[in-house]
Amino acid sequence: MVSLTKLSLRHDSAQNTARLKRRRAAEKRLKFYGLAAIVVSALALFTLVWSVAGKAGMALTETYVSMSIPLHTAELDPDATGDPAAIGRANFDGFVKDLLKGEFPYASGRSERRELYDILSSGAAFELRDRVMADPALIGQTVEHSLLASDLVDLYLKGDFGQLIELPATGFMHLTPEGDSVSVQFDSPILIEAMDALRLSLREQARQTRRQASYEENGRAFYDAALAEAETDADRADAEAQITARTAARDVLLAQAQAFEDQADASGLDAELGLDSPSILVHTGDVWLHMTHINASGGRAEVWGELEENLEIQPGQWRAAFTELSSHQRKITDLQIAIVETLRDNGQIETRFNARFFTSGDSREAELAGIWGAVVGTFWTMLVTILLAFPLGAAAAIYLEEFAPKTRITGFIEVNINNLAAVPSIVFGLLGLSVFIGFFGVPRSAPLAGGLVLAVMTLPTIIIAARASIQAVPPSIRDAALGLGASKIQTAFHHVMPLAMPGILTGTIIGMARALGETAPLIMIGMVAFIVDIPTGITDNATVLPVQVFRWADFPERAFEYRTAAAICVLLVFLVLMNGFAVFLRKRFERRW
Amino acid sequence: METQLMNTQTATDPRQISRDIKMSARGVDVFYGTNHAIKDVNVDILDNTVTAFIGPSGCGKSTFLRCLNRMNDTIDICRVQGDIKLDGNDIYDAKVDPVQLRAKVGMVFQKPNPFPKSIYDNVAYGPRIHGLVNNRAELDDVVEQSLQRASLWKEVKDRLDAPGTSLSGGQQQRLCIARAIATAPQVLLMDEPASSLDPIATARIEELIDELRNDFSVVIVTHSMQQAARVSQKTAFFHMGDLVEYGDTTQIFTNPVDQRTQDYITGRFG
Repeated sequence: MVSLTKLSLRHDSAQNTARLKRRRAAEKRLKFYGLAAIVVSALALFTLVWSVAGKAGMALTETYVSMSIPLHTAELDPDATGDPAAIGRANFDGFVKDLLKGEFPYASGRSERRELYDILSSGAAFELRDRVMADPALIGQTVEHSLLASDLVDLYLKGDFGQLIELPATGFMHLTPEGDSVSVQFDSPILIEAMDALRLSLREQARQTRRQASYEENGRAFYDAALAEAETDADRADAEAQITARTAARDVLLAQAQAFEDQADASGLDAELGLDSPSILVHTGDVWLHMTHINASGGRAEVWGELEENLEIQPGQWRAAFTELSSHQRKITDLQIAIVETLRDNGQIETRFNARFFTSGDSREAELAGIWGAVVGTFWTMLVTILLAFPLGAAAAIYLEEFAPKTRITGFIEVNINNLAAVPSIVFGLLGLSVFIGFFGVPRSAPLAGGLVLAVMTLPTIIIAARASIQAVPPSIRDAALGLGASKIQTAFHHVMPLAMPGILTGTIIGMARALGETAPLIMIGMVAFIVDIPTGITDNATVLPVQVFRWADFPERAFEYRTAAAICVLLVFLVLMNGFAVFLRKRFERRW
Repeated sequence: METQLMNTQTATDPRQISRDIKMSARGVDVFYGTNHAIKDVNVDILDNTVTAFIGPSGCGKSTFLRCLNRMNDTIDICRVQGDIKLDGNDIYDAKVDPVQLRAKVGMVFQKPNPFPKSIYDNVAYGPRIHGLVNNRAELDDVVEQSLQRASLWKEVKDRLDAPGTSLSGGQQQRLCIARAIATAPQVLLMDEPASSLDPIATARIEELIDELRNDFSVVIVTHSMQQAARVSQKTAFFHMGDLVEYGDTTQIFTNPVDQRTQDYITGRFG
């Protein structure tokens, strides 16, 4: 039996002081954990935004090649009709290709031609055609036109394939034509670096060859042992044949390795520049020399352009550069680099804000692909979702809370609604596929189908949140309204709903945010299709932002990587706007009392 | 025995009773699930009279009050038996719409519960939903009169658009009374209307109740015997779900018949 008066003495006991100390330490620890959690999540968020926004920035500009284009009547409008339809049928693609061929005649081989054509986007010819069709009077004139560059050129100019690095070049450069190619003599630090790299690469090759030789040697040793243990003549003959073959192979490989090493050690090394070493480009006037072989004082080069009579190039008249990455490490070829650099030197490269990305639909060509189709598709889908889910969810919640008798059936319904909120979204996609599309015949890939599926998926979230906020409305308000003679419906809609509205809206935002980021159920109902046109209604084929992100992320082209990041940013902006609108609505409802 | 007692009490002035009975309850039993909360209560509520229900906590006086406008309907487990009549019509008849009944039998609750809307909208809500007014001018008039009769008009006439919840506790309760008056009820039920108010606000509410008697029959549940003595003409004493004694307030407080009443008003229990 304790005495209460004596109990109070324990407040200051040593045991209690220690307990208090532990309690304070625990509080401090908790505070620290909380702070640490916030810092970690802030850092995670910052890293995410940083990396996504950084990549998205690359998609914000696009590159054009400006040219003076003589629009020949003969090619574009042979009958001189001036009729836009007739002009539209002209072969603008071929026309633009001819234009390029005219500018860069040295790209003459089949694969060189293809490399040349890859400088421009396939959409460039269409844009030229559209311009001429809009103004047929241009035919016969020479117009300044900017042709959209391909994603390859765009990425190269943005530094994605490494830079073309120029090193100081002093002294004369001597050229000696040797058949198709030209022998080049010049002095540049590039050569020393390239030679060092070559030697390193030769030694590496020698090392690998020696390793292969050691495998052969191991094989020979194995058959040596087999020969010693062989019992029949056949076995013996077999082992002897193997030993002979292995020894020969080993000797060949060793000789090769020795040759590589000799080559690496030789002072007068003259070797071919492989695809896995940086390319060397020498530039004089409009002519590019593409080094194919190098030695300590120059080498041999492929000539891109027309060499002049004078083969002694003065200092300052030529420049030597090497690529940061080897041909294997980049998609752009040496020829394309030479062409793009020529265009850049001539001031023909233009960089513009990439408005196309925000105004056009999807495309297989990265430089033509835009997000607008997905944005509009998202808008229609979300519209269908909110128009269905919000009224249905709010009505279901108000019925369950205010009107439904508390029976077993309503209890069962409640449990099921709560369970539905935890169902994986792909299951809703299956439901949409079989019920909405299969049974009711809703058009596939349309925002209507997507909106229906997402509405079904969002409903439980909205109902749960709405019920919680309806429950939170003080009963005194209901009493007051009922006591004045308001009916149940009047009580619910005049008093309970407005008070519960902020909570219902919060639930709706959460549900809509989930729906906005949802990919899986939409893939099930075919909203993952490649859709170029901007949807104009809820029954058109469409895709949505997260699905667009998913699709682009799957494409191998580097340019799509940046577009994916940009699409993610657009998705985030969409989400922030939607949440902002909901917060605004909440504030409005809250201000009324 | 109690029924007889009540009859003897009310029978003291048979002329008045026959003329002025507004509501009558006969053999009312209320059950919350299996709990028998009100046991065989018989009461006549007179017109233009303030009737006070007193009794210790949990005696059933509020429950009985809520029976008078069928507010107990909103409680699922609550069951009411017996006859309650308003002007001779059974209010628990299947044909009676509780919504209409509550328009005639208004209620003011223990805790002030203004709607989270403007002062004007609070008062105008009843007339609006019951279609009592034809135009805005009439509505303005009803709102002003109701607020005046709740003696709140002077304090709020310049800020009718302010939220009802921005008023002080006493003002909020008067707003609730104004709101109840605006619906033009015939009976006004008040469930401890002054329990959460300070003495000054309480005094104003009591004055108000006395004024309201001119137009309505008022039934007030109170824990304060002084309040019952001050404002009421008739008093009913409830104990453990029984109506122990019902009679003129002066008689109950000066000369109670039942020992339990005697004990309660003298503060021996409760």
